[in-house]
Amino acid sequence: MKFKHMFKRTAVKAGSVNSAGNLFAARQPEVPDGLLKKCNSCKSAVFVEEVKKNYYICPHCRNYFRVHAYRRIEMVADADSFEEWNQGLKTENPLHFKGYEEKLEGLREKTKLDEAVITGKVTIGGTPAVIGVCDGRFLMASMGEVVGEKITRAVERATEEKLPVILFVCSGGARMQEGIVSLMQMAKTSAALKRHSDAGQLYISVLTNPTTGGVTASFAMLGDIILAEPNALIGFAGPRVIEQTIGQKLPQGFQRSEFLLEHGFIDEIVERENLKEELGRILKMHAVDGAVKGKSRIPEKADEETSQYISEEKPGQILSEQCLKNDTEQSVKNDGEQSQSGKTETKGMNQIGPKMSAWEHVQLAREKNRPTGKDYVNLLFTDFVEMHGDRYFRDDPAVIGGIAMFCGQPVTVLVQEKGHGTKANIEHNFGMVSPDGYRKSLRLMKQAEKFGRPVICFVDTPGAFCGLEAEERGQGEAIARNLYELSGLKVPVLSVVIGEGGSGGALAFAVADEVWMMEHSIYSILSPEGFASILWKDSKRAKEAAEVMKLTAGDLKELGIIEQIIREEEPLNRENLPEVFEDLSRKIQHFLEHYETMDETALVKHRYDRFRRM
Amino acid sequence: MIRKLLIANRGEIAVRIIRACREMGIESVAVYSEADRESLHTQLADEAICIGPGPSSESYLNMERIMSAAMVSGADAIHPGFGFLSENAKFAEFCEQCGIIFVGPNSEVIRNLGNKQVARNTMTAAGVPVIPGTDIPILEVQTGLAEADRIGYPVIVKAALGGGGKGMRTADTKEEFELAFQTAQKEAQMAFGDGTMYIEHFVQHPRHIEFQILADRYGNVIHLGERDCSIQRNHQKMIEESPSAAVSEELRLKMGEAAVKAAQAAHYVNAGTIEFLLEKTGRFYFMEMNTRIQVEHPVTECVTGMDLIKEQIKIASGEPLSVTQEDVRIQGHAIECRINAENPEKHFRPSPGTITELHLPGGQGIRIDTDIYNGYRVPPYYDSMLAKLIVCGDTREEAIAKMQSALGEVIIDGIDTNVDYQFGILENPDYQAGNFDIEFLNTHVIAGVNINEV
Repeated sequence: MKFKHMFKRTAVKAGSVNSAGNLFAARQPEVPDGLLKKCNSCKSAVFVEEVKKNYYICPHCRNYFRVHAYRRIEMVADADSFEEWNQGLKTENPLHFKGYEEKLEGLREKTKLDEAVITGKVTIGGTPAVIGVCDGRFLMASMGEVVGEKITRAVERATEEKLPVILFVCSGGARMQEGIVSLMQMAKTSAALKRHSDAGQLYISVLTNPTTGGVTASFAMLGDIILAEPNALIGFAGPRVIEQTIGQKLPQGFQRSEFLLEHGFIDEIVERENLKEELGRILKMHAVDGAVKGKSRIPEKADEETSQYISEEKPGQILSEQCLKNDTEQSVKNDGEQSQSGKTETKGMNQIGPKMSAWEHVQLAREKNRPTGKDYVNLLFTDFVEMHGDRYFRDDPAVIGGIAMFCGQPVTVLVQEKGHGTKANIEHNFGMVSPDGYRKSLRLMKQAEKFGRPVICFVDTPGAFCGLEAEERGQGEAIARNLYELSGLKVPVLSVVIGEGGSGGALAFAVADEVWMMEHSIYSILSPEGFASILWKDSKRAKEAAEVMKLTAGDLKELGIIEQIIREEEPLNRENLPEVFEDLSRKIQHFLEHYETMDETALVKHRYDRFRRM
Repeated sequence: MIRKLLIANRGEIAVRIIRACREMGIESVAVYSEADRESLHTQLADEAICIGPGPSSESYLNMERIMSAAMVSGADAIHPGFGFLSENAKFAEFCEQCGIIFVGPNSEVIRNLGNKQVARNTMTAAGVPVIPGTDIPILEVQTGLAEADRIGYPVIVKAALGGGGKGMRTADTKEEFELAFQTAQKEAQMAFGDGTMYIEHFVQHPRHIEFQILADRYGNVIHLGERDCSIQRNHQKMIEESPSAAVSEELRLKMGEAAVKAAQAAHYVNAGTIEFLLEKTGRFYFMEMNTRIQVEHPVTECVTGMDLIKEQIKIASGEPLSVTQEDVRIQGHAIECRINAENPEKHFRPSPGTITELHLPGGQGIRIDTDIYNGYRVPPYYDSMLAKLIVCGDTREEAIAKMQSALGEVIIDGIDTNVDYQFGILENPDYQAGNFDIEFLNTHVIAGVNINEV
């Protein structure tokens, strides 16, 4: 309620301004320059000091302020580790553009920068890397010949010195004043990065607000790993240009980092506070790579056992027996619990506990509380860095992939994820993989190959996603491509079926050197329901179908489709999953020890033969 | 003298400060949130500026917006009131940087006194008694025993990383110590993964006695006697009075001297409060210093006849104190009851809403500091205090009788209040006899409400 009448004002003392004893009359209060600045997002005034201390993030709305290049380096690099390269390069004003040189001179004075990018060498978390950072104060970090040249030189030197490259990108695009010469920088930088990649070296791009135009269409999008800051504008054509061209208002969030993540173009959005740690982690995982790669790529080092193992193979022979023997020996060594031949062991396995019908196995494999792929990742690996997206269309949540550490070595991990609970089930599309999911997995497999990391897949899918969009985007092609490429992948591939191994959807993750199954998982041409429906036109006869399909681990072992069964003392759930940790991780270790000693040719041939026999 | 004062607060304290401005011929500028558009302080001030939405983090705690309001209005000083930014060293520093007077001590003093360890060290150095305790972390029972002996029983063992009463045990005697220490340490180990312990003298059933001090820029420091704030619920004061029934003339001299010493040691300027815990033995310990005007300042005003807000403004304007310690006379007895919009029967749940009927008492020796009026809507965002009812009588008995009469006259309809609960305290024989400590509400059932019953 507001009072209808105003309160009477009282008299203000006249002359009090100059009354004696007033210490402050001489000075009118004012906010000193540089104490506050305005946040462009929430429009509120913020303390400059506070913003600086808080990674240049608005304390009110968490909007990211742009960061000057040298401050950015301070934020991510180890203290005093930065060594600047190629300072002082100047453009020759290729188009003789009027007023351009004066403009640059003014900017140099104002920003104390030579040009719009700083390059050099740093260490991050102790790992050395070549770094390049764009500075938006300098003509919106547009790419002229100097920017292109500095980046190219930095990449070339990195290739030569076998160092990873990190580029912090922020740019308006090509530099108009340099016209076609600026355009050529796109090709030049991309070519340098191609060479760097072909040399097996790592490139991480970090996209910050804004990343647009010719820079997006060149080095920004070429990272082996592409990180982005939250809510950064990332696109080729600027939003204003698009709006004017199509005469429509663009939706909220269009061309922002989150939009790109969803559309499969970036691996991960990283908060600014965590960038240093995340970069350090990724660099470290790639730094140990060299050693592993070296070890696994030297043919002479393939030990006697392996060559013997390969030479003994004859077409048609069931590989599992040998593998099993191998494993049995190890088991004897480790705990002496099994000492008989493979087949006996298989039988023994099935006889432990009450004998189950195939249908019971199907039900256990589909049990709601059964651990999903992500649970295995958390159980077996550390430092998991998730990578998103197929770089074409979308990030498929039915597939989770990334790099992780296993017993001190980096591995690429790929899982088909169902999620726990209805909400998560829907989010992960019940583990039914879309073409984008297969393409994401393929991208990460090829990445593993480049960096010499083994690939470990966990299979748990009712089948590939069946739907309109999946067909439009080429579900068949995507699965086929995986089979095709996996068969020739030059690093060890292990595949473990943990729940449902449904159809081609599962096989696209299982063209591996060895395929293992958890005791109560299933692996089949399609679901028992589908089988019954096709063969007998009655999906209700699924139970009957299950019995004849040979889809249990025991059956498949006998058929020689898989190498190992991982025993489940009790049917697995999220709580008792740790019980298999020791067994599984020991077996994976043996697997890696064994296959990493093979040279590429032998490894690929072995995988070829494995399927050739079937 | 300050010409134009911005009041960075709301509610009754904003009204209280605006009233002082009106009397002193100072222009007043209110700031208000969108929820306080119709609040009394918004309507009473000469100017009012909206500083954002209802939640205090976006309005009364947003220093950038408050400073903008000060700049726009041309104010030359800011009074922070209590709560909100009143003890925020950063805000005081911001005022210093902008050359605007902050009515309170300087930022460094606020920062030092806000840091428990720095404050304790300052007081120890100045010879102000603090609760005896260990200076070093204790990990073993034997060292703990020796320390406990030195400190004096009863003692309390506390986890260094403690909180929420976990890892805390008391021991009355040497015999009890070992078990208490081990239990506390085990608990601490479980709860915080760390068994580092501290030992302190356990102050049992103390009274909360605080001394009001005034200090000017020229080194003059005086105290205005004590306030007894022992009637508290979960550290929320409910009734305050001056003088305290537990403080003799002799003790007042001693504690007053300590309070002045404390303020001097902290280089304090403006109005402030030194909080002590007073044991039944008459021993007292420095707890903390509040670097702002307090809610309960009117009881001191009643017994000293001084206007503390005006004094604050004068000190901030650079004037020397107009009174010396000798001039200060404590006369009569004052009691303050805080009237809150809350329901004692429902665990003191806050009760915002519209006041539909209102009658407040008046008359000789009765003062009401409030911002409510008939038809006022109590917003849900802020503290639930509606009014302070202050009475002044010649003796404590007279004051209690006056308070009972006045409380009985209060009618606030439309929302729940704690008036009946307060009435219950006034009726309690232990309260009337002056026989209480900070555990009073924990150990007495008042108006049918036991605050420990959930």
